[in-house]
Amino acid sequence: MHLTHPSQIFEERTRLDRLGRIAARWSGIVGLASLGLTIVWSLYSAGGLDHFYHSYLTSFCYFLSLSLGALFFVMLQHLTRAAWSVAVRRIAEIVAASVPLFAILFIPILFGLTTLYHWTDGEAAAHDPLLQSKSPYLNSAFFLVRCVFYFACWWILSRYLFARSLQQDKSGDPSLTLKMEKVSAPGMILFALTLTFAAFDWLMSLDAHWYSTIYGVYYFAGSAVGFLALLTILCFLLQRSGRLTNVITIEHYHDLGKLLFAFIFFWAYIAFSQYLLIWYANIPEETAWYLKRQEGPWLWISLLLLFGHFIIPFLGLLSRYPKRRKTILAGWAAWMLIMHWIDLYWLVMPEFSRGRIPFHVIDLGCLLGIGGLFLATIAYIARGRSLAPLRDPRLGDSLTFENA
Amino acid sequence: MSTAVTDMVVREIDNTQNDPAKRAPLVVGDHDFTSVTETVCSITEQPRPPRAWYIAFGFSVSLLGVMGLMIAYLIFTGVGVWGLNHPVNWGWAIINFVFWVGIGHAGTLISAILFLFRQQWRTGINRFAEAMTIFAVMCAGIFPGIHVGRVWVAYWLFPYPNQMAMWPNFRSPLLWDVFAVSTYATVSLLFWYVGMIPDLATLRDRAKTRTRQIIYGLFALGWRGSHRHWHRHEIAYLLLAALATPLVLSVHSVVSFDFAVSQLPGWHTTIFPPYFVAGAVFSGFAMVLTMIIPARQYFGLNQIITKRHIDNMCKIILVTGSIVGYSYAIEFFIAWYSGNPYESFAFINRAFGPYAWAYWIMVTCNVVVPQFFWFKSIRGNLLIVFILSILVNVGMWFERFVIVVSSLSRDFLPSNWGYYSPTFVDVLTFIGSFGLFFTMFLLFCRYLPMVAMAEVKTVMPQAHLEHGHHRGVGDYHGDIPHAHEPGYWGNQTSLTESPTHPVEPEVS
Repeated sequence: MHLTHPSQIFEERTRLDRLGRIAARWSGIVGLASLGLTIVWSLYSAGGLDHFYHSYLTSFCYFLSLSLGALFFVMLQHLTRAAWSVAVRRIAEIVAASVPLFAILFIPILFGLTTLYHWTDGEAAAHDPLLQSKSPYLNSAFFLVRCVFYFACWWILSRYLFARSLQQDKSGDPSLTLKMEKVSAPGMILFALTLTFAAFDWLMSLDAHWYSTIYGVYYFAGSAVGFLALLTILCFLLQRSGRLTNVITIEHYHDLGKLLFAFIFFWAYIAFSQYLLIWYANIPEETAWYLKRQEGPWLWISLLLLFGHFIIPFLGLLSRYPKRRKTILAGWAAWMLIMHWIDLYWLVMPEFSRGRIPFHVIDLGCLLGIGGLFLATIAYIARGRSLAPLRDPRLGDSLTFENA
Repeated sequence: MSTAVTDMVVREIDNTQNDPAKRAPLVVGDHDFTSVTETVCSITEQPRPPRAWYIAFGFSVSLLGVMGLMIAYLIFTGVGVWGLNHPVNWGWAIINFVFWVGIGHAGTLISAILFLFRQQWRTGINRFAEAMTIFAVMCAGIFPGIHVGRVWVAYWLFPYPNQMAMWPNFRSPLLWDVFAVSTYATVSLLFWYVGMIPDLATLRDRAKTRTRQIIYGLFALGWRGSHRHWHRHEIAYLLLAALATPLVLSVHSVVSFDFAVSQLPGWHTTIFPPYFVAGAVFSGFAMVLTMIIPARQYFGLNQIITKRHIDNMCKIILVTGSIVGYSYAIEFFIAWYSGNPYESFAFINRAFGPYAWAYWIMVTCNVVVPQFFWFKSIRGNLLIVFILSILVNVGMWFERFVIVVSSLSRDFLPSNWGYYSPTFVDVLTFIGSFGLFFTMFLLFCRYLPMVAMAEVKTVMPQAHLEHGHHRGVGDYHGDIPHAHEPGYWGNQTSLTESPTHPVEPEVS
């Protein structure tokens, strides 16, 4: 049984230091280079630019979901006054603070609006009564206003919580904990609404004829799975690099594993609810969305999600054993991060490529590009800062609790 | 002894303070293990219950009798005595079914999900809430049973091999309901009972009469409180909690399928499963509050079921009420966004059509009322909490009314429209079902331990002598364990002081 005595944490390496600079520099370079190369490649290949936008949106929504999952995690811990998670909360705060990056990375999507969203095409909309009826909501100007609002909300929330937490590192003032708790309550409501409508705007409106009230919850469930997997991996890597070796204990991994397991189940519950209701009622305007995802090889991707995103990890994480083995748990977390990307790919790509999986090196380029910049931003934010909220009043509880 | 109990009744101690460095106590006053046992057991051990109990019991049994009469009238006359018509062939019976199943959701959430989340305050209220779950599911079960028309063949609901070679439709969510609800009832009952065994043994050991000894002894299953018993008990409890957790979600999801698999506007929408589950937890917690506020006062339990418990339950109502509000908003938005004229009509009809009064009662009670729980002063005022908790359940009943009736009464063809009004039989059967609920509840208060004594004791400071490193599942309350030991914070005396160790230089 590994237990930490709180006095040990003061001898702990809690900063990224040189590793942070190296990680920021190199992932930044890799990110920019692969994005640059991908853009050049797509400009010079037939239909490449269209595919670039589709692929870019996939990876954008993927990494953004990790960042939003982090914001949700931080607010949830404050709302529930959680003690167990204090040791890993700073990592989540850092990931959540990367949201402004996505406001910048959103700019290329604006250039690709007409490629991505057929409702922006005035010509087509004129002959489409459905699009006409939706035009008060689905029009470029209002779309832009909403996007600005989403990013503003996320940025303010993540910034506020991160800043208060850093302030507590210096002052050790317990009242800051109460402040974060207060803001998290309305913050959670704002988060739920902005995430839902962002998912409607950026993903659901790819097929502007189709609609599903649970869609926002589906994107949320994936975000939570993705972030918990990322957090597990970050804890694992940080400890491998000799940081937080005593702060994060096997008990934290166990709890992260339980939450990951729970959200995998939750994702499946939401996915099943949506599928069953649409399959059962069999209304053509709704089933069209699933038919695209069952046509040709897409069927295999759908089945891959059923097994890879639910049944296999469900069985894999069911028992206590894998949750208390760092390497095994990190392996499952990596698996889930891949599955979550495939989930996003499955949400976006069938809208543009029916009956064919358009996998292309551009997809990898976008994944590496945005992923590189995402990692670089995280490393940059983490630079010179403690990787754990060392003076949080509940830290003692977090260090010494046990899963009996 | 009786004076000690009365003393506790008088003193209401506020433990809702929020100090991040310190866990608030969950049992207040000068309670120790003995006094907890004494307080809880004495309720069932008094030779005869207090007069108010008799009055309440008499009233409840009369209501139950009314339900019995109404059901007899229904069976002997036929379903025509209800207000059902064409097109509204689902009326109060289905509304009441969904209403009662919903009420039954708090108990298992508290005992299973909050257990897995290490929410220790659940120990004060779980026994109580689980009992309510079972009684609510009993009330719920009656309605579909009498709705089938020919009650004497209600067992045809179950798929069993028969010489008629007749099977229920396995593709029908109504059949899934039979499975979902009966599984839920079974597991909840088992869970409730397994958790109660140690307490039943306590009652057995304290029993003064031979009858009590035999009856409690029978149900205590030979519990001796040995280490081996406790070990197995805790494993069984954990496993049951894990099995019951998906059930909390599945039951009301399946109930929502009854509506959502159809093509009817207002019924068919994908958010229904999680939305129904949130609504069920919402109404369940409200019912727990409605019952627990007077009960804790009356039975002198207000130092075990403290103001903090009430405060926490109010917050859960706020959360689940907000999820319900979110679902209303998203449904309304998508009804417009879909561009489907029938969808938008269904929702405009709800808000401004013939049932607008019901819709606005629903919105007021379910969306506006819980918002009061943002204020700590309101969460601390038991009378207001009591009233608001009743309003929440008024709202949740009307939610089901709005869903069932407004969509059925006006579907695609205007020539197929109608208006539904209940008959006195509908109304009295529903009121009578409260008689069943209260009767069962009063019997529970009288004969079973209302608080999980053994579990409450584990969250009291006396259970933690802080010897050695080992602590139980997320055990912490009161002061941080070991914090007072020298060297806990290194050279500092607490985290809140400025660090004495050298600060690492900022890296640019």
